[in-house]
Order: sequence, then C-alpha cells, then structure tokens
Amino acid sequence: MNHLLLQRQDILNRRTFLGDVTRGIGSIALGSMLFPGLARAVGATGERSADALPHFAPKAKRVICLFQSGGLSHVDLFDNKSTLQKYAGQEIPASVRGDQRLTGMTSRQTAYPVVPPLMGGQRCGRHGTWISDLLPHMQGIADDICIIKSLHTEAINHDPAITYMNTGNQQPGYASMGSWVSYGLGSENKNLPAFITMISQGTGKNPDQPIFSRLWGNGFLPSSHQGVGLRAGVNPVLYLNNPAGVERGQRRALLDDLAELNRSRAAELSDPETLTRINAYEMAYRMQMSVSELTDISGESAATLSAYGPEVHRPGSYAANCLLARRLLERDVRFVQLFHRGWDQHIAIARQLPNQCRDIDQSTAALIKDLKQRGLLEDTLVVFATEFGRTVFSQGKLGDPGMGRDHHGRSFTVWLAGGGIRGGMEYGSTDDFCYNITENPVHLRDLHATILHCLGIDHSRFTAKFRGLNVRLTGVEEAHVVKGILA
Amino acid sequence: MARKEKWPSHPELLDWLAVDFVEHGWDVKALIRQIVLSQTYRRSSVPTPEMLERDPQNRWLARGPRFRLPAEFIRDQALLVSGLLVNRVGGPSVNPYMPGDLWREISHYGSTPATAQTFVQDHGEKLYRRSMYTYWKRTAPPPNMVAFDAPNREVCTVDRANTSTPLQALVTLNDPQFVEAARAFAERIALVAGDATAKLHWAFVETTSREPQPSEISILHRALTRERTRYAQNRVAAELYLNVGESPRNPALDPSEHAAWAQVATLLLNLSETVTRN
Repeated sequence: MNHLLLQRQDILNRRTFLGDVTRGIGSIALGSMLFPGLARAVGATGERSADALPHFAPKAKRVICLFQSGGLSHVDLFDNKSTLQKYAGQEIPASVRGDQRLTGMTSRQTAYPVVPPLMGGQRCGRHGTWISDLLPHMQGIADDICIIKSLHTEAINHDPAITYMNTGNQQPGYASMGSWVSYGLGSENKNLPAFITMISQGTGKNPDQPIFSRLWGNGFLPSSHQGVGLRAGVNPVLYLNNPAGVERGQRRALLDDLAELNRSRAAELSDPETLTRINAYEMAYRMQMSVSELTDISGESAATLSAYGPEVHRPGSYAANCLLARRLLERDVRFVQLFHRGWDQHIAIARQLPNQCRDIDQSTAALIKDLKQRGLLEDTLVVFATEFGRTVFSQGKLGDPGMGRDHHGRSFTVWLAGGGIRGGMEYGSTDDFCYNITENPVHLRDLHATILHCLGIDHSRFTAKFRGLNVRLTGVEEAHVVKGILA
Repeated sequence: MARKEKWPSHPELLDWLAVDFVEHGWDVKALIRQIVLSQTYRRSSVPTPEMLERDPQNRWLARGPRFRLPAEFIRDQALLVSGLLVNRVGGPSVNPYMPGDLWREISHYGSTPATAQTFVQDHGEKLYRRSMYTYWKRTAPPPNMVAFDAPNREVCTVDRANTSTPLQALVTLNDPQFVEAARAFAERIALVAGDATAKLHWAFVETTSREPQPSEISILHRALTRERTRYAQNRVAAELYLNVGESPRNPALDPSEHAAWAQVATLLLNLSETVTRN
C-alpha cells in the first residue's frame, strides 16, 4: 500500500510542477456574479486575483455585438475592387486558391469562376471606403466605423467557426465573450443581468444554420455569467412573470415571509449563503419591474422609432432588438449581443442577400446614430461581426439563378465603432480576389484581445482556472491588440 | 484530468474504501451506500465555534458539507413532496413543461423532425418523471435546469458550479412545474388530520426534514391567514392560480382554501433550507 501511495504522490508532484509553471502566465480574476454584491466564485474558478480589473483605464464601459450568423459576404458588401470586374467570369488563378481547404459543397466543382459583387456601391465617408448599395444606410455611417477587411479564421464550417468567434475555441466547452466580460467586470446595473442576448431570424434564408446556447454560454465559468436571453412576447425573460392569480403585492408579502424565515435560520446555521439567496430573490423581484420597463417602448419618440425602420414595430425582429439593445446599453448592461440568422448564401444569393441586408441595414445605422446622439457611443464598443466570409468564386454554375458563394475563412470583413476605436478608417487589405490577406492580418484572437483592451483588460492576464490551466479568451496562441485601429 | 489538488486528507480511509470496493466485487451501489450511510457523511453541516477555529475549511470532516442541491434534485424534490413524482425506472426521455419553443429559435427546423428541431411538450405522467429522464437537447438545454448550473453536456464536467442567482428564484417561484408542485403539495397538506398548526407542522417537516420552531410556525400561520383572506375575497384569482399545470385538482377542496395553502407550499419549497443540503 505504501508503494502505491508513493507512486500517486509522484504523479501529484508532477502535476504540481506543471501547475506552478502555468501560474506565471496570468492570475485569476474574480468577477462579480450576475449582479454585484452576489459574488461567490466557486468550483473551477474559486481563486481570487491579486489583479484588480480593469487592468488599466478603459475606453469602453460596455459592448454591443451585432453578430451576423451564417457568414456575411465581404465580397458583395464591403471588399469590392476593380479587379473583380476585370476578372468577372474567369477562373480564379490556382496560385490564389493555393492549397486552401474547401468545404464539401464546392470541393468537387470543375470550375471556380470569379463573381463580382451583386450590386454597385458608393465611395463613402471622408476616406472613401466602398460600401454596397445593398446597405444604403450603413453607407451613411462610414465615418463612424472602422472596417477591418483582413479578419481570418482557420474554421471553414459553421459550428466550429461560430463557436471559435464567440468563445475563442473551435471546440465546445469554453466561455463566450460576453460571459468573460461579465466575469471580469460584473454589472453596473443592479436590476438587469450583465450579459443579455437576443436572436432574430433572417428573411434572406429562413431557416438558416442552427446556433447554440454555447455561443452565449458560460463554459467553465459560473453559470451566473451566461447570456440571459431576452425574447419577444409577454415573457421577455423566462419565468419572469408571476403565475396567473398572483399579484405583485401578494408576492412581496410572501417574499418578506421567506426572507424572515431564511434569515433566522441562517443565523442558527451560520450560513452566509442563505443571505446571498435572499438577495437573489429580491433582485428577481426587482427584475420583474425593470424588464417590463425595459421592453415597454411606448415612451420612444416617433422620430426614434421611424429611424430604426418599420420593422421596429415587429417584436423579435432585428430592428426591434436594436432598439432594445440601445435601451439596455443606456441602462449600463455590460454586454449585449444580437444574433441575426440567415447569412449563409450558398444558393440564390441574388435573391437572398438583398432581403438579408434589408433586415439589418437601417436599424444598424440607426443604432449607431442613436448611441452617438445620446453620448453613449463614446464609451460603448460596437462590434459588427460574423463567423467567416464568402468565396469570390461561385458555388454552382455561373449565371444560374441558384448560384451562391461558399464559406471563406481566409479573409473576411467585420467592423467596429465607438469606445476606443478610430472611426472613419479601413484596416487591412486582401488581394485582387478578396481571397488572401495582403496587409495587416487580424486573427479573431486579435479581435478578442482588442475588444478586451477597449474594456481596460489585458487579455494575456485575464484568465480563469479550468482543467488545471489558466485559460484565456484568446487561448494559448499569440494574440495582439490591433493598435492601428485604436483611437 | 490534470486538476491540481491537495494531497488527500484521509489517505488511509480512501485506501480502505478502495480495497473494500474491490473485495465486494466492484459493486458501485454498495460503495455509495457505504459512504452515504457513514457517520461522517451524515454529520450536520452546522459548525461549532471550536470547529470553525480548528478547521475552517472542514478538511477533517468534523461537519457535513453544505451546498445548494443540484438542478435535478431541486426539481425532483418538489415533485416528490407534491406527490406528483412518477418514480418509475427506465423508458424513453420525456419533454416536460418549457416556456415556449426554445428549440425553434436556434434550430435548423427546416430539415427533419427526427433531429428534434421543434419542441413538443409531453403530457400525463411524462411531466412528472425524475429529471434524469428529461430530454436533453444540448444546443438548447432545459432552461430550468441550466439556471441551477446543470451543464449543457457538450463536454464532460467534473465540477459543477454552484451559484445563487435571481433566475433560480424565478424558476422555483414561477415555472409551471414548480407552481403545479406547490398546488399538489397543498392537496397533500389539506389531507393531513388536525388543525392548521398540525398541517403546517407536517408540511414543514416534509420539506426540511426537521421540526419547526414555534416562531417559524407563527410566520407560516401569518402567511396562511393573509392568503386565505386574499383568496376568499378573490375566488377568480384562486381558480386562475390553481389552473396552472395539467394534473387534475381535487374538486372537493374549496378553491380559495386550496390556493392559500398552495402559497404556503410555495413558501416552503423556496426556503433556502429546502434547496440546500445541510
């Protein structure tokens, strides 16, 4: 038996050694939980940090991520160039395609002809960036946004790609961007969760690729950091409403009884956790009010409503979600994320893409303008992102109405705006075929590092303990803050 | 798992248990029974000042652990005390109550019904099976479980988090599964012989497994009286409230009286002590 014990001791020592080596990389941040004052990190994340967050003065206090799910076509919407017209219909050179992996949807094609953008566009803003006429309202905010044309990812299919973009890892099990930020910085609003998500369906392609709760999940962080869904309809937060036949005042009295019973017992049991639970019930009660106040848009002016477009009146639409996002940001919700589905234009792109763009164009631009006029854009980081771009070559036969574009992770476009970001610029560029990056590549890890930087967080020191490692949103590979786009 | 942990506090005990486990033919059930029936496991979690001073982390196990019950236990416990629990072993997974079709908003629901693209709620006894039988769509797991730190099961979880959040309060107060459990629990309480005090006493023991103190009974009394008055004046509200959930209600019970007791049942099911292993 002693022999066995010694062997185990040896294994533990080796583990201990590895653990000590990794400890140098970063320290553990203890974020507040869903609401401040409820903090109690346990389990995988039970270590306090010597490091206070933020690490340095933040430029942004909150984030809104407008996630275009399915793979937005950078070729059609942002990354046009004269060479696309010049080579229209011609085979993309083998030297450009190189040894890139293609998905099973186009890997057996015999031809890969170049397809220029569906629609013309305009040179916009003082710097004359090109934006498609499919996004006329977005053309008007060119001076406020920083368009990154050189984003790249290794993933070529939706599940790994969208998981990668949202959690920093292609494998499930990691914490999403919003939950990291909630974990690190907590909430500034006592009556609403720190991380709120909303989903809308696209009219371009419906149904589109599935999405999953892991995209806003807490992964290895405590579940209090998971994104809380805000839904259209009478129950905007699940289980929010009292049952039929139960009034608010009645609930109040019951909660008072509950608190009294809990408090006296907590003293006898020396159980501080019970006091945490009493607070949680009180906040649930307050949330019932704050959420209904939040979702009641009857106080919005006619001018505001019309700026977001007619769809703002349809609950659950992207436009309605944009307006709610502004109301959430106004209330200092830390991280708001919209998922708009329907961007996976493999087929019939000429029919699908205009509808898909119409879904989001006006309200996205309206949101930026609205944040700006309320003075919120200065300290709100806006991230307009997707999981990958689309191929310059056609999927299907050239000229066929069923033609579309396949996935393209080697280069794609996202844009940022607001707190910490220099508006009115482009960053990075691609080759003549919008295929390979020629200048200033930005890996999605770099995007994550930059988002955290704007919030005053050094991504390399922002870790949580998981499987014996100090895990970061930016993972174990190199990641750099994109300094060239910072204000 | 490369988890860095301390050297075990009781290595000889672990070795004894390991050998005993092997000698009993690797019988996992027997091992678990052995552990949970031990005096150590059954100790109260209430510390004496001396225990706190000598061993604040409870490394030597002089007291029992204290933790909020896992998600499944909380739902199962409510079903058990309500008398609704269908405690049969085995069979296919079930789809109990869910607030709307949460699958549809994320799924590729155009493809095939075989891949569970839309949520179809079950009825009858399938609403009251133990939570381990609840169908688990990993991309949209049951929200009343996830609120209580149930992992989404996409990856192995060695150590569940254990949080206290407002969303948990909303589940045990407002989820139809729990509202219905309170209503059914109230029916059981109503059948207990004796006066209101006797009924309150029985219900308290049923949820907390301990004798109530007079002060606790008096708070419950106060709540009962208040809810009786409210629902006696508003029978419509009582009927609306009793209408939550699909199980039939005992029509012999007066609706106002039943609703008042169901509020008391909710109070008991939401006690911190009820959802905590002490």
